[in-house]
Amino acid sequence: MKKHHKMKTGIGDKIFVVCNTIFLTAFVVITLYPVLNTVALSLNDGVDAVRGGIHLIPRMFTLKNYQTVLNQKNIITGAYITVARTVLGTVLALITNALLAYVVSRKKFVFRSQLSLFWVITMYVNGGMIPTLILYRNLGLTNSFWVYIIPGMIGAFNMLVMRTYMEGLPDGLEESAQIDGAGDFRIFVSIISPLCKPVYATVALFVAVAQWNSWFDAMLYNRMASEYTTLQYELMKLLNSVMQQGGTANPGSTAQAAVTPMTVRAAATVVTMLPIICLYPFLQRYFVTGMTIGSVKE
Amino acid sequence: MKAKRISWKELKNQKFLLICTACFVVYGIIFYYLPLGGWIMAFQNYKTKDGFFDSQWVGFEKFKFLFSDATFLRVIRNTLAMGVLNLVCTFVMAIVFAILLNEVRLAIGKKFVQTVSYLPHFLSWIIVTGILHDALSSSGIINELLVKLGILDTPINFFAHKGYFWPIVAFANVWKETGWNAIVYLAAITSIDPSLYEAATIDGAGRWAKIKNITLPGIRPTIMILLIMNIGNVLNAGFEVQYLLGNGLVKSVSETIDIYTLTWGVSQNDFSLGTAAGIFKSVVAIILIVAANQFAKKTGEQRLF
Amino acid sequence: MKNRKLQRVLALGLLAVMVLALAGCNKKDDGDIKNFTMFIAMAGSEINDDNEIQQIIAEKTGVKVKETWLTGQTAAEAVGSIIAGGDYPDFIDGGDGMMALYDEGVLVPWDEYLDKYPNLKEMYSDKEWDSFRQEDGHIYWANVFQNTYGENRATTHNDEAFWIQVRVLEWAGYPQIKTLDQYFDVLTRFAEANPTFKDADVIPYTALCEDWKYFCIENAPEFLDGYPNDGSVIVDASSGTPTIVDYNTTPTAKKYFQKLNEQYLAGNIDIEFATQTYDEYIAKLSTGRVLGMCDQWWDFAYTVNDVFKQQGLDKLGCNYVPLGLTIEEGMENRWHTYDDTLNNSSGVAVTTSCKDIDAAFKFLNDILDQEIHDLRFWGVEGVDYLVDEDGMYYRTEEMRTKCADPAYQASHLCNYSYMPQWLGTSHDGKNAMQPNEQASEFFDGLAEPLVKCFEAYNADSYPDMIGSVVEHNQPWFPMYSFSNAMTTDTPGGKAWVKMGEVKHEWLPRVVMSSNFESEWNAYMDAYKAANPQNFLDEMQQELNRRVEAAAE
Repeated sequence: MKKHHKMKTGIGDKIFVVCNTIFLTAFVVITLYPVLNTVALSLNDGVDAVRGGIHLIPRMFTLKNYQTVLNQKNIITGAYITVARTVLGTVLALITNALLAYVVSRKKFVFRSQLSLFWVITMYVNGGMIPTLILYRNLGLTNSFWVYIIPGMIGAFNMLVMRTYMEGLPDGLEESAQIDGAGDFRIFVSIISPLCKPVYATVALFVAVAQWNSWFDAMLYNRMASEYTTLQYELMKLLNSVMQQGGTANPGSTAQAAVTPMTVRAAATVVTMLPIICLYPFLQRYFVTGMTIGSVKE
Repeated sequence: MKAKRISWKELKNQKFLLICTACFVVYGIIFYYLPLGGWIMAFQNYKTKDGFFDSQWVGFEKFKFLFSDATFLRVIRNTLAMGVLNLVCTFVMAIVFAILLNEVRLAIGKKFVQTVSYLPHFLSWIIVTGILHDALSSSGIINELLVKLGILDTPINFFAHKGYFWPIVAFANVWKETGWNAIVYLAAITSIDPSLYEAATIDGAGRWAKIKNITLPGIRPTIMILLIMNIGNVLNAGFEVQYLLGNGLVKSVSETIDIYTLTWGVSQNDFSLGTAAGIFKSVVAIILIVAANQFAKKTGEQRLF
Repeated sequence: MKNRKLQRVLALGLLAVMVLALAGCNKKDDGDIKNFTMFIAMAGSEINDDNEIQQIIAEKTGVKVKETWLTGQTAAEAVGSIIAGGDYPDFIDGGDGMMALYDEGVLVPWDEYLDKYPNLKEMYSDKEWDSFRQEDGHIYWANVFQNTYGENRATTHNDEAFWIQVRVLEWAGYPQIKTLDQYFDVLTRFAEANPTFKDADVIPYTALCEDWKYFCIENAPEFLDGYPNDGSVIVDASSGTPTIVDYNTTPTAKKYFQKLNEQYLAGNIDIEFATQTYDEYIAKLSTGRVLGMCDQWWDFAYTVNDVFKQQGLDKLGCNYVPLGLTIEEGMENRWHTYDDTLNNSSGVAVTTSCKDIDAAFKFLNDILDQEIHDLRFWGVEGVDYLVDEDGMYYRTEEMRTKCADPAYQASHLCNYSYMPQWLGTSHDGKNAMQPNEQASEFFDGLAEPLVKCFEAYNADSYPDMIGSVVEHNQPWFPMYSFSNAMTTDTPGGKAWVKMGEVKHEWLPRVVMSSNFESEWNAYMDAYKAANPQNFLDEMQQELNRRVEAAAE
């Protein structure tokens, strides 16, 4: 009887394992294929690629597409600005968010809950695009690099993630520091922050990814200031290089819009995603820890 | 709730915290609360050259127009439908993926699959929609496969049929976020007491039974809190995906509130109408999140606030 | 240890600041040259910052204009967000957002500068200038296209047509193609006999439906009935009093869409036609595998012909020639417009944000000087073109290929394409203002298959190919300059927007339908619900106004 039962579950488990393997393999294929296909296209000759049928291996290998992309001055400017905004934006956002999270995580702080609510509200209510645009302009942030950095310095969600983590730290550490006469700032810098490494890494990653991927702000606030263009915006331009919409027919317009071959677009896509793809596996440990904070209470 | 007396000494001790608070409040007021003043526009016939002070006041007229506009009602439907569909699909997929991945015994395989699964999260929507567009084009891989497998005679144009649009958007979301969302569930699963599984094994339970009776109940609180957190976002069904994938033919199912706001607020220069639509969205989001929170409170689940 | 960490973070921040400072520094500092900006609400290719001819023009005129084109937004969205933000460029061509800019009061009136700057003034006659006047009596912009100086030199059919690749005509033995039926017959027969081109499946016919460029599918009925390009309506003057006719509901419209439907179901029309973007469409044409389509010359030819030249596809007969189709055989066609078309609904404008308005107008004036104009369109003498002993400009084959190369265009050529310019004959009385209108350039630049095709049909140029009736424009022409400037403030304007939405959705559906009759009826119901009569009434009023104005 018992033996029979065991055998049955054994077969059931085997079927399960087989199905599971198939499912996960399919998952990996579906996730990876488009990315690898893009890479293959980017390494293939442009004219040849139009014939179709390129999957994972380039048919006519060439590096010309990358040459074309990297020769575009705008892309280089965009890369420059994107790196700058990602680095600077992340560092500043990390410092301010951590500080704010620290302030609202101080249990003895008198305005703790008010300050917390003040920021939580901002998660769900906003004034909309136009008032924001008008505000930025009046602050002199449009047509400047700082529009990428200053408005995004604090994000309520990131702050909440950090706060939750800080609240989970044992109180004892801090009390002993206070007895030693350390002020709040000292406690923040030398006691709390070192313990918050995983959550800092997580938030840094959130901010960095958002900074790296953003294009709408470049279009909206720095349209006329092409020296502040971003990589994604340039990619957007390439992907839609001749997308014309909603205009007046201008018979006789001699403006030429060059066609971007799909292989060049693929190359631009790879250039844009490569840095992040190379980086994230190394940060995995941190963001996995960070993401799980607050969701799993031990 | 009882009013706490704040002594001067206490304030003095918290000097650093107070200075920080002052800075953060000033910053918050400038960048988050000041633009809310723009909400006045919804009650005006706002013209940029007249500004807030000289524009004509129209009361609730813009809202009236909004709710009598068939397009707006359709846009609400689209937003809700896509929001719910995305929520359900990404939720279910993330949970299924987490559970199945957890069942993998081969450590290196597990690690590999997991690492791969995060990848799409890091790609921008521009890239994702670009890839999707190519994959679904008439010479793309999907059509090629379907034709080769004999499911289709000739390639079809997925973007030309209204019926496919919502599923395509849902798929895009699932593709992008499944691995990322699963992180939380995987962590929750690891925190389940291993002795429960051992006991079940002794009782002769198969894998299915263990998943059903131990794993799923184990991650229930996590599922609930994430569900609550995300319900407030249902109306954020998206802007970029629909904006980048939509076309004239499927416009009636692809337009969301955000796109409506953009078309009216910016293209037609009716900033007031655009703002009114934005206010509507904010109000609904708040109602949804509060309701979900109350519901959680009643049923004894974890709450957000 | 903690301090070291902090230091590291700070150092990183500092590094970023330095990177920025550097990024900020490498601009400006052009000596005496004034830098202006211009936004054009059209897609276009940006030229490099160190573009050579732009630099030469800057040295001669003292002004350099950085052009920014539309990306990722529609023209109206772009103009809307510019208005909302209040940051205006110095020059702007807002497309159909011009009225919004005017309403906002941010455009500078041209009137006093027209008297000051003769080249600008010369662009139009007083009467033509008057047509640019807005309600307040001032002129705020000037359209820069389709404006001929001296003798007309047109060699191309710069208008709409059903186009066909010359290799198809050659294969079919240069038949006379006069109707839609004959057109599709040739296309499909050719496609059956030659199913692939360069390993890719040929596409007998495609149509662009994206945004405002859906005219490619939408307005053919007006031409098929033998009317000229009034754009949004037909003007029927046969009874003596010009009357507005809606071409969307004519029997011809139904026949035309039924034909497309039949061809679609037979698999002869690109299945992606309804959803392709302009970019995809152009990329598809550039492969040479599309045999025919309906489009405006300026919408595809400049880009596509450049690619053909680069890839040597022109030698294989991929170039398109226009056919003057009508719905029945033996009708006159008016696809080609012989006179200039004055579209007063948009053009280049100077904004009030401009710091030196006089310099801006001076620049608009200066770039019409023949010397600068030659630089813009012909390039640098000796490099981009040569001059023979008769003073005629010409290019060698090598120069032509080079000028068709996008990389060269970006680094060297600068035609300020949305700034005032001329077509027609140069001030020297010999050359054409723009190379594509220079007869010798035109013929020498033609690939052999095109030459053979022209010979076979006894044509000297593209207009000869299409064989439209030679006549002058009617005084009300083109009516689209009115519908383009409509706003949703009037019932007609609202109807116009709604009609557009309905057609955008339904025309592709009708073409793809498996039951044409019922789909067509459903479309007609939806169309009527948009109240087209409101629109037609306002068009009729404007038509009457224009007729009266012309009679004065």
